[in-house]
Amino acid sequence: MERGGQVSCPQCGAPAPFRGTAVSLVCEHCGSTVVRTGVDVRLLGRVSSVIDDGSPLLLGGKGSFAGRGFEIVGRLQLRYARGAWSEWYLQFADGVGWLADFQGNFAITVPAAGADFPGFYDMSVGTWHEVHGAKYMLVDRRAARYQGAEGCLPFVAEPGLTFFALDLAGPDDQFVSLDYGVDPHNKRPAVYLGRAVLLAELGLDRLRRFEGWHD
Amino acid sequence: MTEATPDVTPRRAEATPQRLFRDEARTEAVQCVACGGPLALRGFGAIQRVVCPACGSTLRPEDSGALALIDRAARAHQPSTLPLHARGRLDGATWEIVGICWRTVLSPPWPWQEFLLYNPYRGYRYLAWSERDGHWSLGQVIPGAPQIVGGKRHVIAYRGRRYRHFAGADAHVTYAEGEFPWQVQVGDAAHVDDFVAPPHGISIEEVVAADGVELTRTATRHLDADAVWRAFDRPGKPPKPKGVGMLAPNRWREQARSLWLSCLVFALAWYAAVQLVAGRASEREVFLATDLGFDAVLSQEITIGEPGGHTTVEVSFSAYPLDNSWAFAEVVLIPLESEEAIGLGLEVSSYSGFEDGESWTESERQADQVLGRVPGGRYLLQVTPERDTSALTGSDPLGIHLGGPFGVRSPDTWALRVREDVFLTRYAVLPLPIILGFPLLAWLLGRRRERKRWANSDYPL
Repeated sequence: MERGGQVSCPQCGAPAPFRGTAVSLVCEHCGSTVVRTGVDVRLLGRVSSVIDDGSPLLLGGKGSFAGRGFEIVGRLQLRYARGAWSEWYLQFADGVGWLADFQGNFAITVPAAGADFPGFYDMSVGTWHEVHGAKYMLVDRRAARYQGAEGCLPFVAEPGLTFFALDLAGPDDQFVSLDYGVDPHNKRPAVYLGRAVLLAELGLDRLRRFEGWHD
Repeated sequence: MTEATPDVTPRRAEATPQRLFRDEARTEAVQCVACGGPLALRGFGAIQRVVCPACGSTLRPEDSGALALIDRAARAHQPSTLPLHARGRLDGATWEIVGICWRTVLSPPWPWQEFLLYNPYRGYRYLAWSERDGHWSLGQVIPGAPQIVGGKRHVIAYRGRRYRHFAGADAHVTYAEGEFPWQVQVGDAAHVDDFVAPPHGISIEEVVAADGVELTRTATRHLDADAVWRAFDRPGKPPKPKGVGMLAPNRWREQARSLWLSCLVFALAWYAAVQLVAGRASEREVFLATDLGFDAVLSQEITIGEPGGHTTVEVSFSAYPLDNSWAFAEVVLIPLESEEAIGLGLEVSSYSGFEDGESWTESERQADQVLGRVPGGRYLLQVTPERDTSALTGSDPLGIHLGGPFGVRSPDTWALRVREDVFLTRYAVLPLPIILGFPLLAWLLGRRRERKRWANSDYPL
């Protein structure tokens, strides 16, 4: 449903502020997932909601990374055997990025050119691999499922799907994510390159408040 | 286009179903499902397990926020070195102990207590206290990957620092209480490898779960027991650390570089001072005689220094020719005004030969001796020369050199020189052992400390 260029939630009629190339949006008012295909807007219904994982980040927060301003426009929450973490979707003036948020450790990555890699199960933790000319150590190999989402996302995150990813770390705190999607035998995972960041260096304009704590 | 799914009722009354977390996150006080005891929940959302401090039952926070009992236990509460929920200031931030986990290596037994520190804006830190030696360390997960150095498996490098492998062992959880962002369970084991560059370390732990493997890298550093006690505002004194902890600083080693540097500076300063003093020495020649024959005793009156003062005197003796031969001079300085004569013997020699296919030479063609604190005044210098007479030209009246051994020439003449106000080299080198002594001592003490540290490692020295 569109009203003069403004998309609204087909469920409750509230504004659905799609950003950039975002494909799906979780309505802030009714929690419905709204999917945009071209000029079409489709309702996916209520998907399981984001659980409180104690993250200090907030949707809508504005900050900067490496001199480029960004806004946190969406969040994908994932769950695996050892816990839950969030991937915050960042909208930069000239592109997008992801802010990984796991137990107080943060890393920002941006999409890079795809490359050929061994399958998810053929890479073992502790081994070094070359990604776009630099060497990184594989530090995490996990299968996770979508827990929930809020705000805008560049794809339709259907709950219950299991997806496979590898995290690699470089000697200078570089961070690389290989996203195998739902197929662990896929030989061409999506590549995300970036580095670890400290919350303080992002200069976010708003952070969550915690009872008994000051930031 | 609208495509509503039937199970979603379009009701505006359900205005805020989505938690946007704009509200303040709150701590909670609930009851243990197993024992009914109070449970303070202070870790906010990221908690995976809650272990009741009173009974030890393990609970899991559900998405709804309720706690589900997953393991009922009835253990007694055990006091740890620091209490649960204590707050302290470390690294310029406030931290709260939200979980306590006791872990141990089984053989040889090496237990420690791990305090999970939490700050919602900074994440987690790991404060560890080793029960055996009472040493403390603070750990923080690092994002980067340490590199293995030069193919050697037991050295890694990270951010310009090299760490040596200290020990690798399975750590077992023996006791837990509080909240944890991971699935803690008494009996859990994880392989931990410790690398050290005291007072820093890196600990690498492999965590294996059903759906993946993770290699966590934690940077650790030594903390003084007193600093921990102050940080957490604890009463009294902390348990006294014993021996040399894995990350305990070695100030002998830390100071080694500056000690060697100051040693070098001292040595250079001393050398400069010596040069200055040596340059000021007049080295005035008091007596010189050359081409003297061995058949006569020299007796000559000389004046040394100023009357009433003292000076240094150097006596030099040489003889010529000197081939596989020797000469000796007994020098006596008899003061004319007092009784205390000074006597010394000076020997020169030169030997060479050819043995086992190699030629060798051993010679001291001039003998010098320096006398310190010689009273000034007039002296009678008496020199009695002696020489090797085995190949004297005089003993061969025919002059065909048959009398003596081949290649031997006994000296014909000798020379003597006496100088005053010379520089005393032996005093110049005297401070060197002291200057060198400090870094050497530090090196020895540092090595002793390292031996003690590494005695607890996989590589005792």
